[in-house]
Amino acid sequence: MVRVTRRGFIGTAAALAAPAIVRPAWAADTVKLGCLFSSSGTMANIEGRLNYVVRMAADAINAKGGVNGRQIEVVTSDPASDWPLYAQIGRQMLQQEKVAALFGCWTSVSRKSVLPVVEQNDGLLYYPLHFEGDENSKNVVYVNSPPASSVLPAVDYLMGPDGVSAKRFFMIGSDYVWPRTINKQLKGYWKAKGIPETAWREEYVPFGFSNFQTLVNQVRSFASQPGGQPIVVLTVVGSSIPDFLREFANQGIQATDVPILGLDMVEADLEGLDTAKLVGHLNCWAYLQAAKGERNQAFLSAWADYVKAKNVPFSADTVIDPMVSAYDSVHLWALAAAKAGTFDVPMVRQAFPGLSFDDPSGYTLKMEAENNYVSRGVFIGSVNEKRGFDVLWQSPDAPKPVPFSPYG
Amino acid sequence: MAEAPGRLIRLHAALLGLALAALAPGTAGAAPERPPVDRPALAAALCGPPAVQGQAAEALIRAAADAETADLAWAGNILRVLTERRLACTDTGAVILDRPGAAEGADAATGASRPAAGGRVPVLGLRQRAQVETALGVVALLSARDPEARGAGLAAIERRAAGVPEAVLARAETAEADPGLKRAIMQVMQAAALSSPDPARRIGAIRAVAEAPSGAALSRLRALEADPAYGADPAFRAALDSGISRVGRAIAVGDGLAVLYNALSFASILFMAAAGLAIIFGLMGVINLAQGEFIMIGAYATYGVQELFRRLAPGAIDLYLIAAIPVAFLAAALVGIAVEALILRHLYRRPLMSLLATWAVSLFLVNGVRVALGTQNLQFRMPPYVSGGLPLYADFIVTWNRLFAIGFAAGTLALTLLILRATPLGLDIRAVTQNRDMAGCLGIRTRRVDRLAFGFGSGLAGLAGVALCPIYSVNPGMGATFIVDSFMVVVLGGVGTVLGTLVAAIGIGGANVAIEPLYGAVAAKVIVLVGIILFIQRRPEGLFPARRRR
Repeated sequence: MVRVTRRGFIGTAAALAAPAIVRPAWAADTVKLGCLFSSSGTMANIEGRLNYVVRMAADAINAKGGVNGRQIEVVTSDPASDWPLYAQIGRQMLQQEKVAALFGCWTSVSRKSVLPVVEQNDGLLYYPLHFEGDENSKNVVYVNSPPASSVLPAVDYLMGPDGVSAKRFFMIGSDYVWPRTINKQLKGYWKAKGIPETAWREEYVPFGFSNFQTLVNQVRSFASQPGGQPIVVLTVVGSSIPDFLREFANQGIQATDVPILGLDMVEADLEGLDTAKLVGHLNCWAYLQAAKGERNQAFLSAWADYVKAKNVPFSADTVIDPMVSAYDSVHLWALAAAKAGTFDVPMVRQAFPGLSFDDPSGYTLKMEAENNYVSRGVFIGSVNEKRGFDVLWQSPDAPKPVPFSPYG
Repeated sequence: MAEAPGRLIRLHAALLGLALAALAPGTAGAAPERPPVDRPALAAALCGPPAVQGQAAEALIRAAADAETADLAWAGNILRVLTERRLACTDTGAVILDRPGAAEGADAATGASRPAAGGRVPVLGLRQRAQVETALGVVALLSARDPEARGAGLAAIERRAAGVPEAVLARAETAEADPGLKRAIMQVMQAAALSSPDPARRIGAIRAVAEAPSGAALSRLRALEADPAYGADPAFRAALDSGISRVGRAIAVGDGLAVLYNALSFASILFMAAAGLAIIFGLMGVINLAQGEFIMIGAYATYGVQELFRRLAPGAIDLYLIAAIPVAFLAAALVGIAVEALILRHLYRRPLMSLLATWAVSLFLVNGVRVALGTQNLQFRMPPYVSGGLPLYADFIVTWNRLFAIGFAAGTLALTLLILRATPLGLDIRAVTQNRDMAGCLGIRTRRVDRLAFGFGSGLAGLAGVALCPIYSVNPGMGATFIVDSFMVVVLGGVGTVLGTLVAAIGIGGANVAIEPLYGAVAAKVIVLVGIILFIQRRPEGLFPARRRR
């Protein structure tokens, strides 16, 4: 009989574990990219798809010979929608896996928790979501738009003659940093335009809140007061979005009475809803699936093929802005690394100014020397009956990003 | 597009001019042979830029009073086609498609079959959508055969009555055969006369507005306080004052009803989520963290029933929610019994272990469903009895999905009480809850009672899943939102009493709804939680402590 001693056991375990430790040595012809997107928890439904998009983009680059003669290897993880876990896994990826860049985070909470990690380890994080701005780290590439080039144009549109000449605003958000900062900036913006404080109301709900009866009652009574056309600026996230929309429609409010501008609303949030009564509500992103152009058609069919080929557990015919932004991120990184001729982070960073990439939205993405932001186009989408968004308005070109808001 | 934008705009401006000239009723005398609705001009204007689309819709509203019924029906059709994104604008004119994205369709003006390739499909802006909705309402009121459609048209007009000329309403009122609808049109006409120059009509309008009280009506009346007549004409002043106070009272009553209704509906959701837990926790002392997942299983079973109806009996699909009731109960009960038999049975004397085990079960169920069926929200067809709402009084709207849940909760309560009070199983459950060892000595097979009671408690959670489908999104993680709330209800109500659970649910639901408008939803949650902590410190047994002999 074989005697199992503690020392012998440890030795065997070490020998078994060895390949994992030495692997980077014999995988020298590849370069690793890390993903920080949750496949479980509250964000799973929307974040999970981004892992696959990063892989798809890497596969496309690999098929053309890779970057600097090396093939890209994508390392995925599951931070389980648990904000501190994003930081922990990010650290592991930078220190142990030696990834050349990280792609990840959806909520601003998770970005803020990864931020110190990438700064300490001088890593690179590509962040694919539009967000509240007011941040400019040399270790983060902000691939999507700050409020100045997403929220403000949309609010301007609604306040203008092409929109509904909105005069009064009901802000409803989840209680965390993104909605509160966005609303603070909006209030500053309205103040700068001379709109009195009585023209808006601000309400917050806990994460995952779903009992919106009372709030929708309040919206109705707010709407019936005099003073001009009201709109709702919605910054709730996750499952609160469909629950709010359902209650809104059931209480008989139509988009032509009180339009909702859903800042985090994507096609995936309309799954499971009867959108016939929600037609006309708005969102704003740097990409919409209905964007015109051959590049978008090519991307949509590439995603559909990828889903079929790799048996991806997400819808083949739903593409949302963060997916395209994650795809752009990989390409922007590859362009920078190729321009630098190395994967060394400081050198890659130096290559950022002057990068440009023609992405599926139809706009040309550009990076400049001033900051790590990317200039993107602006789309305003309008909910249609088929649980999608039609393009209602789009900017003539990609505005220059303004990281720090002058309004708050 | 190859065409220069400047040329396009000029073209549209010219078309608009044509359309306006054609649509305005005043021009009829100048060109008597031209009908009030010029079909090609309207079709061309709807293909124009947003402002032109809106003006075309408004011109149609103004011209509607003199238009032929056939023309109105045609205009209604093309406007509906526009809202449904089936109107393709090609270089040679507008084409109506059978379905969005079709390659060819019928020419809007002539009806001839034409290819639509390369055509632009306009998306309505919000302002234009409102104008088109009102125009569709006018068309429906004047030309629809079905009284229900005419009523819906009137409702659409009421939303923006200011933009609709009196002649349209007058024509509709004369032609209307349905007495109820005739009266409703009359009322809208009267209410629209608020700014009429004739004082008697204005007073009549104030009465008509006060007749249908709402927040919007109050705002309209309040605006009249700034009118010069308010100071000058005592009759006007008296009518306005009494109108405002009447509407104000009605709104207060309506808001009170709304608070009660919101509290009742939230309480019914809490009660349904907690009822099964009260039995399981009360009987066996098992802290079942998988209770939320039993709710999820009930909801998924409902989805399964819906899909079966879709395949086998598409005609009766609206009944699937009713048919799902026994299915969801049995599905959740079977899973519950399996969990009890395989895992919990071995852990009865170890509460901490059973807590961890049920947590593991909950993780297993969530991830099992996620892997098998995906993470997305399930798509439910909402039958008419659970979608929309009925404006009952002032601003108080009864939403059908919540009413369904309230009724469901009442049914669950009755069923639970019936089983506990009037069946042999209920007798056994009560005996085992009060004194397990003594019940065992008297020959009750306590293990069997445990299993059945666990199944019953799980089944009640499954029923909650059916009632929640029309209210919340259904996905694998939905159960997690209920577990904390349901434990609060069970602990506050007193372990093991169904009536205690009911009272606690009403208390917590009511407190949440009452505090929320004052301090916000976040504070409401905190205040309720602190209140429960204080209460439990005073009375650890909860509101209705079960009588037990130990």
